[in-house]
Amino acid sequence: MIRRPIPRWLVVLLGILGVCTLLAVYGGLSYRQSAINPKQKVIPGLQAFRDGVSRMTEPQGTDESPKPSMLVTDLRATYWRLFLGMGLGVLLSVVVGIAMGSYRWIAAPLAPTISFLAKIPPTAMLPIYFVLVGSDQTMFTTMVALGIFFTMAQSVYQSITNDVRDEAIDKAYTLGASDPEIIYEVIWKQILPPILDNIRLQIGPAMIFLLAAEMLVGGEGIGYRIRMESRVLNMSIVYIYLGILGFTGLLGDWSLLWLRKKLCPWYDR
Amino acid sequence: MYALEVKNLSHWYGENRILNNINLQIDYGQVVALVGPSGCGKSTLLRAILGTDPPSEGEVIADGKLVTEPSRDVGIVYQHYSLYDFLSAEENVAFGLKLDKTSLISRFVALPTYLRKRREHLQMARDFLARVGLAAASGQYPKELSGGMRQRVAIAQAFILKPKIVLLDEPFGALDEATREDLQMMLLRFYQENLRAKQRGEQPQYTIIIVTHELNEALYVADRVIGLSRFHTEGSQGAMVVYDRPCPILKPDASKDLSRLVEQREELRSAVFDPSNIKHHSKYVSFWDELAQDAQAAEAKQNSIRLAGDKSV
Repeated sequence: MIRRPIPRWLVVLLGILGVCTLLAVYGGLSYRQSAINPKQKVIPGLQAFRDGVSRMTEPQGTDESPKPSMLVTDLRATYWRLFLGMGLGVLLSVVVGIAMGSYRWIAAPLAPTISFLAKIPPTAMLPIYFVLVGSDQTMFTTMVALGIFFTMAQSVYQSITNDVRDEAIDKAYTLGASDPEIIYEVIWKQILPPILDNIRLQIGPAMIFLLAAEMLVGGEGIGYRIRMESRVLNMSIVYIYLGILGFTGLLGDWSLLWLRKKLCPWYDR
Repeated sequence: MYALEVKNLSHWYGENRILNNINLQIDYGQVVALVGPSGCGKSTLLRAILGTDPPSEGEVIADGKLVTEPSRDVGIVYQHYSLYDFLSAEENVAFGLKLDKTSLISRFVALPTYLRKRREHLQMARDFLARVGLAAASGQYPKELSGGMRQRVAIAQAFILKPKIVLLDEPFGALDEATREDLQMMLLRFYQENLRAKQRGEQPQYTIIIVTHELNEALYVADRVIGLSRFHTEGSQGAMVVYDRPCPILKPDASKDLSRLVEQREELRSAVFDPSNIKHHSKYVSFWDELAQDAQAAEAKQNSIRLAGDKSV
C-alpha cells in the first residue's frame, strides 16, 4: 500500500544497505577494471586512495616557510568563499525580500526586475563578473551572493505574500504594534522557517556557481583541484574531493534542520 | 460620548455603492449583533470600524477618536487565522501586552526589565486563559488546538488588552454546535461582567459587535440587533440599517421565554432577509426610542410606587 509506514529499524537497515551496495558496486567495477589494466586510474582501488590521501594531506612549502597541505588550502579557500558569498547573499535577499513583502511601493519597482534576473543562470553571467569584478576573492563572493540573491529575494517575498495574511498584520496593529514591530515580531518570525529552508536549498546552487568559477579561474579551491587532477587522471583525489563535497553538503543540511527545530519549534508540530 | 459612532458612512467599490448613509451610536457595554444577507456590506462596515478600509464617505469615531487606521482601541477576532502560529496559546494572549507595554528597542536594550515584565504578562495571559477554560492548554501551539480552543485563545487575546470595542467577525462560524454554545456562554459571562460594572456605577469593560449569520445566536448573545440590508425603498443606493431593536434580554418587561425570541427572529428575518418586504429603511429602527420609552416607563413606575408609599404613610 502506498505510504504504508515501515518500522524505524527497517529504515536504518535499508539505508545502510543502500550505502553498502554503492561501495560494493564501486569495488566490483574497480576490481574488474584493474584485472584488465593494472595501471588504470579511472576507478582506483584502495591503495590508490591511500596514495591520494597522503599526497593531499602532505604539508607544502619548505622547512623555513611551511605551508598547509593541498587539502587544507583548497577546503579553506572554497568554504570561506562559500561562507562569505552565502552570508552576503542571504543577508541582502532577506532584507530586500522583507522590504518588498512589507511595502508595496518597494515591491512594485523591484519585483519585475528581480523576477527577470532570477531567470538568468548565474554561471552564464560568469563572463560579466570577470569583466566587472575581476577574478579575485571579490569575484567569487559577488558571484555566489548575486547567484543566490535574486532567487532567494523572490522566495522571501513570496513567502511573506503567501504565509503572512493581512489579518495577521491588521490584528497586530489592533494589539498596539508599530511598523518595525510588525516586521520583526510578525513577518520575520512567521517566515523564519521558509528562510532557513531556502538557505538549505541554496547551498547546492551556490556550490555549483562557485565550483564552476573555480574551475575556470581559480588558483586554489575544490573546483580548481578537481579540474587539475582530472586532467592527469588522478581520479582518487577527485573522488575524495567529491566525497568531501557530499559530506559537507549533508552537514550543512542537518545543521540548518537542527537550527530550524531549535528556533521554530512550532513549525514541525 | 459613545463607545462607537458611525456618521453618514457610505462606501463604494468602483461604481457599486455597497453601504449608504449608515448612522449608528453604540454605547459602552453594549453587545451588538450585526446581521444581514451575504454581500450586504457587513464586512465592509466592520473593516471601516476597524480602520483597515476607511469609508468612501462619512466617519467612524471610537471612544471619541476618529478612526483612520487600526489601533488598540478596536480589537478584532476573525473566523479564521486569528492566532499567530509561532506563538503558544499563552504567548498569543500575552502578545498584545508585549506590544502595548514594551517597545521593540527596550526588549533588547533593557533586557532584565523586559524579562520581568514578560513574566508578569505571561502570568496575566495564563490567568485570562483560565477564565476562558483553557488553563491546561497554555503551552500549546495553535496547530495543536481544536477550532473551539483556538477561538477561545483569540477572544482572550483580543479582550486582555481591554480595547474600547471588540469586533467579532463570525467568530463561531466554523465550529460545531456544542462548541458554539460553549463560546456563546462565554460571551454571556462577559455580558454579566458588564452588568455588574454598571451596578457598581463603573463604565462597563466589554463593548462588543458580533457579526453572525445565525439569527438565534444574534438574539441569544446580544442585547441589541442591527440588520443591514438592501431590501428597502432606496435599496438600489446600497445597504442601510433596516433593523435596530433591543433583544429581549435588554427589555426589562419583555418576556424572556422562547416565544418572544421566536417572534423577534421572524420579525428580523422578514425585515432584513426577505426581498419582498420592501419598506422604508427606518420602519424597524427604534432602538433608542424603545430605550427612552423603557426609561420613562421605569421612571413612571417608580414615581407611582413612591406616591403610593406617601399615601399609605
